[in-house]
Order: sequence, then structure tokens, then C-alpha cells
Amino acid sequence: MNVHLLRTFYLFVAGFVALVGMLVYWQVYARESLANNPNNGLQTRRSIEAPRGLILAGDGKTVLARSEGHKTKGGAVYERIYPQGAAFSNVIGYWSVRYGASGIEIAENSNLSGVSSDPTTLDDLINQVRGGRQPGNNVELTLDPELQRIAYDELGQTVTGRGSAMAIDPKTGEILALVTSPSYEPNNIDDEFPKLIQNPNAPLLDRATQSLYPPGSTFKLITSSAALKAGVRPTDEFFDPGYLDTPGYRVYNYQGKDYGELTFAEALAFSVNVIFAKIAIYEVGPQLLYDTARDFGYGDPYDDFILPVSGSDLGYPVDQWVEGNTAQIAFGQDRVSSNVFEMGLVAATVANDGVMMEPRLVREVRSPDGIIIDRPAQSVRRRPIDVQTAQTLNQMMQGVITTGQLTAAEVPGVKVAGKTGTAEAPPREPHSWFVSFAPADDPQIAVAVMVENGGEIAPNGDADTPAIPIAQDMMEEYLKRDGG
Amino acid sequence: MTQRATTPMILALLVTIMGFATLIFVQQATSPPLIYGAYYAGTLFALYLGVRLWLPHSDVLLLPIVTLLTGLGLVLIFRLTYNVPGVEGLALSQAIWILVGSGAMLFIVLFFRNYSRLFNYKYLMVIAAFGLILMTFTPLGYEVNGAQLWVDLGPVNFQPSEFARIALTIFFAGYLAEKREVMAATSRTFMGVQLPAIKYFGPVALVWAGSLGLLIFEKDLGSSLLFFAVPLLMLYVATGRTAYVILGSILFAFGSILTFLLFDHVKVRVEAWLDPWEEPDSTGFQILQSIFNIADGGLTGTGLGAGFSQTIPEVQTDFIFSTVASELGLVGATAVILAFLFFTYRGIKIALLAGDDASKLLAFGLTAMFAMQTLVIIGGVTKAIPLTGITLPFVSYGGSSVVGSFILTGLLLVISERSGKREAEELLPPEDRL
Repeated sequence: MNVHLLRTFYLFVAGFVALVGMLVYWQVYARESLANNPNNGLQTRRSIEAPRGLILAGDGKTVLARSEGHKTKGGAVYERIYPQGAAFSNVIGYWSVRYGASGIEIAENSNLSGVSSDPTTLDDLINQVRGGRQPGNNVELTLDPELQRIAYDELGQTVTGRGSAMAIDPKTGEILALVTSPSYEPNNIDDEFPKLIQNPNAPLLDRATQSLYPPGSTFKLITSSAALKAGVRPTDEFFDPGYLDTPGYRVYNYQGKDYGELTFAEALAFSVNVIFAKIAIYEVGPQLLYDTARDFGYGDPYDDFILPVSGSDLGYPVDQWVEGNTAQIAFGQDRVSSNVFEMGLVAATVANDGVMMEPRLVREVRSPDGIIIDRPAQSVRRRPIDVQTAQTLNQMMQGVITTGQLTAAEVPGVKVAGKTGTAEAPPREPHSWFVSFAPADDPQIAVAVMVENGGEIAPNGDADTPAIPIAQDMMEEYLKRDGG
Repeated sequence: MTQRATTPMILALLVTIMGFATLIFVQQATSPPLIYGAYYAGTLFALYLGVRLWLPHSDVLLLPIVTLLTGLGLVLIFRLTYNVPGVEGLALSQAIWILVGSGAMLFIVLFFRNYSRLFNYKYLMVIAAFGLILMTFTPLGYEVNGAQLWVDLGPVNFQPSEFARIALTIFFAGYLAEKREVMAATSRTFMGVQLPAIKYFGPVALVWAGSLGLLIFEKDLGSSLLFFAVPLLMLYVATGRTAYVILGSILFAFGSILTFLLFDHVKVRVEAWLDPWEEPDSTGFQILQSIFNIADGGLTGTGLGAGFSQTIPEVQTDFIFSTVASELGLVGATAVILAFLFFTYRGIKIALLAGDDASKLLAFGLTAMFAMQTLVIIGGVTKAIPLTGITLPFVSYGGSSVVGSFILTGLLLVISERSGKREAEELLPPEDRL
């Protein structure tokens, strides 16, 4: 009997060895392919089992995103809460196990996530050695929560409800507001996402950075810069007969007006297309206009910026420009395309004596116990114009408000510099643009606002300019607190 | 065969307490784990001392393994259910079941030292086993996860098949020991296979088929497999005839095909085993989650408390080995498999040394049941074989399973006591013999 007993024992041994073999197969041989299997949710589980860091506004207090733990059958799971809702979601983004992530949530993931980051402090290291889940680092942004809120609310109240706004501190490059409308509710993104991608108003699209529109007359700031470089002085006089013929294309002024004899500064204040076309063709020339626009960031993909940006564009390479192109490009039409992100930087550059600071959204990254992990330094991105040119253009832009009698843009007790734009977008209503900065003699804030198809034409022929009061409210709010 | 196992006992207890201490760090669990640990250490060590006292010649090396495995189970159950709504009380009830199991083992140690009497009641054992299984078909029985294998006895619910198994093993051991000579002798051949006289084979076949049939209707696939394989292995050991094994395998093949065709729940299990990717969110979900978690563990595991095996449905019972593999890795899981193998080895050794046929067969039957159960469930959760719902002895959550395993160990201890005592007496000089 003992012989047979031993035989069955060997059978059991063989069975146990086979089990170890099976484990070796799963845990060593097939491990990687199983980890990457789309049905395997363990890696995503790993990412939601640790609390992500906070995302804070520039005041250091307003919480834009936080993680809230819930007990479930599988242990604690953290859900992302966005207390400020839709006004910030184009910047903050969303964090979804099902639909991935966007905005700061993905751009700063290595800081926000408590899992994949390398240990940066001793506590981190101890935590990792202990195998515990450490909470992610906190990211403080440069955004001013009030400005963001005002711009978002006011853009939503415009005729179309579609538009974007950008505000920046011209001296430091800190972005104070980056707003798009319509936006989306980032809480409950898992339920909302399928509807959002179907929505014809594209709420998931950040119009401030990712859309491109004709900049219209706001582009005259770049044409003016090129003209000043070419030696045109603000007092130089030009004649406007009401039209300009170029081979195959006749330029008219807005609403077909003719202004007669005007100085260059007046031409900017009244936004005279014919004179700008003349200056571009005869005084500046395509190459200088092209180069100046490039110096201001046209053609720059901004792929080092924290959020995805669609680079502004002039439409054609300069060697393909004919006179008709140059004429229209001079006042931001033809195929010129841009957004408030770029035009806000253009205004800020003029405000900051021709120095474009690196645009920044992240002020600093701190560990949960307050240790500063990263604080991006301010730096210069471009110098498209010299100090003299910038200051001259600054004066001319102040004239746009005073000479042009743009009372809607005035901020009490402060000099404002600005430029409007009513960019044709047939067959629909034109886009209403306004770029500005204030105080003009010591700029604290530069703003660019655009209302999509907001330039509704009144019966008397005047286009509505909804972008101006929005920019004015932003500047007034900001200067009331910080500039006062 | 006198054994001392104080050092292994202390080591096994230290491993358990270390497990609980880890959980305090990882899950930020407050004092309960330590209380569990201390209470557990006290119970098991007292049990060890009791066995040393009352069965001084027994193979007490079984106890450190039992301590290690139940301790591991308690730590894992605590880890898997701590703060989880709905199941937070499971670790406590498992701890109580370990106490009950220890009591049951002590009862056997104290009152069944003369276990041979049990063989006189072997037919009573059959009736008891059938009675237990049939209880599940009475109004007291109820269904869990599609299998009718629970009985509600007011304060406690239990799975009768866990105990019916042991009763039937006693029957087979007693009966086969008595009839093994005549059953080994062949009277006729059929298609070249030598067959024993129906007369002697009849009762065995009847009990075997009866219990198997009942379990198939209970839809308890795991137990069916054990009820099939264990008597067959005992028959082989008793008679030494490979013919039984071959015949059994043919029967098994037919039976498998038949149940596959007749019962939907068998079909679902087999299809989920063959291709779980077909239905990854329904029938294949459980086994795929198990595989994902096992793979996630890798060589050294995620660390206790850091894995995700809670994604596996029923992880604290049938799938607890997936947690072992996930959190302790290949290294830890292999160590646990070795612990099971070591228990099997001690069991087989007890059978080898046992003085009489019935004791040999009982010790072997119990060991074979233990080994088969381990192989079937670990094989199931690692997708080596189709999954059958069955617990991992000592480790899985479940009162009937824990108590049953303790009783099994108790029986092995009393069997080893007898041969150990005889051996000790033989070693003594003749004048000292009683």
C-alpha cells in the first residue's frame, strides 16, 4: 500500500509544481502584455487611489480642483471636484478614468499625481519606501479668479455667447485670465462627455488658445510697428480717397467712408483700412510686414506653452504675396488668423516697451506640506520692437481711446491704450475684437477680448462692439485692487 | 515520531503578527489588527500546547503550518474587508471561526484518540453525510451564487458538504480497509480490463455515485470534483490496481462531457475558462480580474495592502490566492504553495507510518482531500483548469471550511499519535514496556 501512497504523493507534488509554473507564466512571462490589456483597469485604479494635488488660483486661496475620497468596496477612491465649475475648465481641464484628461490636469500630471512622481522630498522617499500612497503636489496658477469669472460671465451674456478673453501682466508674463465661452461643467465629466463632443458650440474647444479667427483691425498694431520701423512717423500725413485699387482687388474703408487727409496716428485711431493698405504696400513692403508679424509670434506654434496652442498664421509665405494680399493683411483680413492668446501677447509687448515676456500659467508647485518644488522664473520670450517704437505705438493706442472717442473703454482715473477690431467673417456677423492695456503710462494689465460674430450691424450701419465693455470691466476690476 | 515544533510555531505567529503590523502602516488601520493578532497568537499557541500535552507522540509539525495558513488568511481577510462597507465584519467572524475550529480540533484530540471506533459506524457516516447534503434541499437550505450548498440553522449558516466530505472519507477508509483484499482480486475481465466482484464494489460505487449525484444537483462543482477524485485515489491506494484509475478517468471524461451538455452553469464555467476574453465584462470578468491581479503582483508583489484584488468578486473566499499572488508576488505565492505541499507531505508521512490499513486509508484520504482541494482552487484562480467554487483550506474566509479543515487536522493528529506511541514503545527496553 505504501508504494501506491508514495505514487499519489508524487502526483500531488507534480500538481503543486505545475501551479508554480502557472504563476511564473502569469507573473513573469505574460505580465507586461496583461498590464497593457485594454480590459485591465488596474493601472487607472492605481491612479485614482491616491489623492491628486490641489490646483489653486493666483490668490493662493481659491481652489480650482481638489480630490475627494470615497469609501468603496475596493478601498478609498478619489474623485476630482472643481468648485469653480465651467469658468475655469478650459484651463484646468478634466480628469476622467474613462475619457482621459486635459488642461493643467494632464500638463501638470506628474506633479498632481501622487503615484508616478520621483521622490522630491525626504517624506516622499519614506512614503515610497513604505509603499504608501502619497498625495500629489499642489499647483498654484497665475489666474486671477475675479477676472476669469467676470470675463466668463460677460462673454456668456453676449449676443452669441461665444467668445474668448485673455489678460496678462505685461511685466511678468503671468496670465491673469484665459477664458472661453461656452465652456463645460467639469464635474461629472464621465456622464457629460458624450453630450459635450456632440454639442455644435464645441464647449470642449478652448477658443482662447485653440481657435483661430481673422484678427481684423487689431492686426494694425503689427502693421503700425512695421511702419514705425520703416520710418513712418505718427504725424506723417496720408490721403484717403475712400478706396485703393490693387491689381484684382479694391480696398474700401469700413462702411465705405472716406476720411481725406489724415495723420498716421489718426489713421490708427479711426482704423482707416485704405491708409493702412497704402502704408503696407508703399512704405513697409511685404517682407518687413511679414518679418514684424513673425517677430510678434505669428507662425510660432507655442508648443512649449503649458496648454496646446494653435499658432497664429499669416496665410501665405511672403514670396506669394501680391499687392492685394499685402493690402488686406495690413488690416488683419485675407487669410490672417489669430486668437486672444496671441493678440493679448501683442498688446502686452507694446505695453512692456517692446519686450514680450514668456507667458506663464503656473506660479509654483508645492508639496502637500508646503515645500516649494518648482517656481518657474520669468523670462523674455521675444523683442519684436525697440523701446522707442513701443512707446510711440503706446501713445498712438492711447489716441485710439481719446481721439477715437471710445468712451466705453475708459477706466476712471487711468490712461487706457487700445485697438478695436471688427473682423469680417462672412456669411455671418463680424467678430468683435478689442485689445488694450492700462494704465498706459505704467501698464499693469493687458487684455484681449473677442466675441465671435458679436459685431452685429445696427440699422445706422454701426457695428456693435461687445468686446470693449468686457475688456474695460476686466481692467477696471484689476486696477481697482492691484493698481490702486 | 515525537515532534517538537515550538520554534516553527513562534515563527508562524511572528509572520502573522508582522502581517497585521504592516496593515497598520498601509491601511492606517487602528488598534483592531493588533488585537486580532494577539488573540490569534494566544488561541493557536494554547492549541499547540494542548496537543503537545494530550498527544505527546503526534506529528505536531502540522500545527505551525495550520497557524501560518490561518494567520495569513486572517491578515488577508482583514486587509480585504477593512473599512469596506458591507463586509467589514468578516475578519471578526473568521477569528471566531478559528476559535470554533480550534475547539473542534481539541474535542477530537481529547475524545477521539481511539478513532478506530469510528470505522464501526461507517454506514452511519454514510447516512450522516447524505443527511447533511440533503439538508440543503430542505427549506433550511438556500442558494448562494447559483449553488444550493448552504444551510441556515438559525444562529449559524454552514456548508454541509465540507463536513459530509470528512464523514464519507471515514466510510471509504473503513470499508476499503475491510474489503481491499477481495476487491484487489479480480473475478472477470471486461474488454481486457479486469473487474472486481460487483458484490464488494457495489457499496462503494453506490455511495460514490449517490454523493456525486447530489452535489451535481447542488451545482457545487468543486465539491463534486473532490467527491469524485478522493474515493478514486483511495481505491487505487487500497487495491493497488491502476484499472480503477483508468476506469475512473473514463467515467470522469464521460461525466464531464455530460454535465457540460446538460448543465448551463458548467458550460458557462468551461467557456469562461477557454476564452474569458469573449465576455470580459460578464462571464469572463472574475477570472480576468484574477489574472490581471496575479500579473500585477509580478515577482515580489505590490506589497501587502497595496494591490487591487478587491476588484475580483468573492476575493475573500474562493479567490483569496489571487490576493496572495498579487500582493506577495511570485515569491510569496510560491512560499504559500510550499506550505500546502509541506502539509500534504506530513499527511502522507502519517499515512505511511500508520499501523493498520484503515488508519492508513483515512490519513491518506484526508490528505488527498486537502491536496486536491488546494490544487483545484489554485488551479482555478490561475486559469490552469476551469474554475470550480471551492475554498482554499485554512486561508479562505468561511466558517464551515475553517472548522472542517481543523477537524481534518485533528484526525491526522490522532492517527499520528497512535503510530508515534507504538514507535516510542518499541524503542523502550522490554522491561519498561507496559
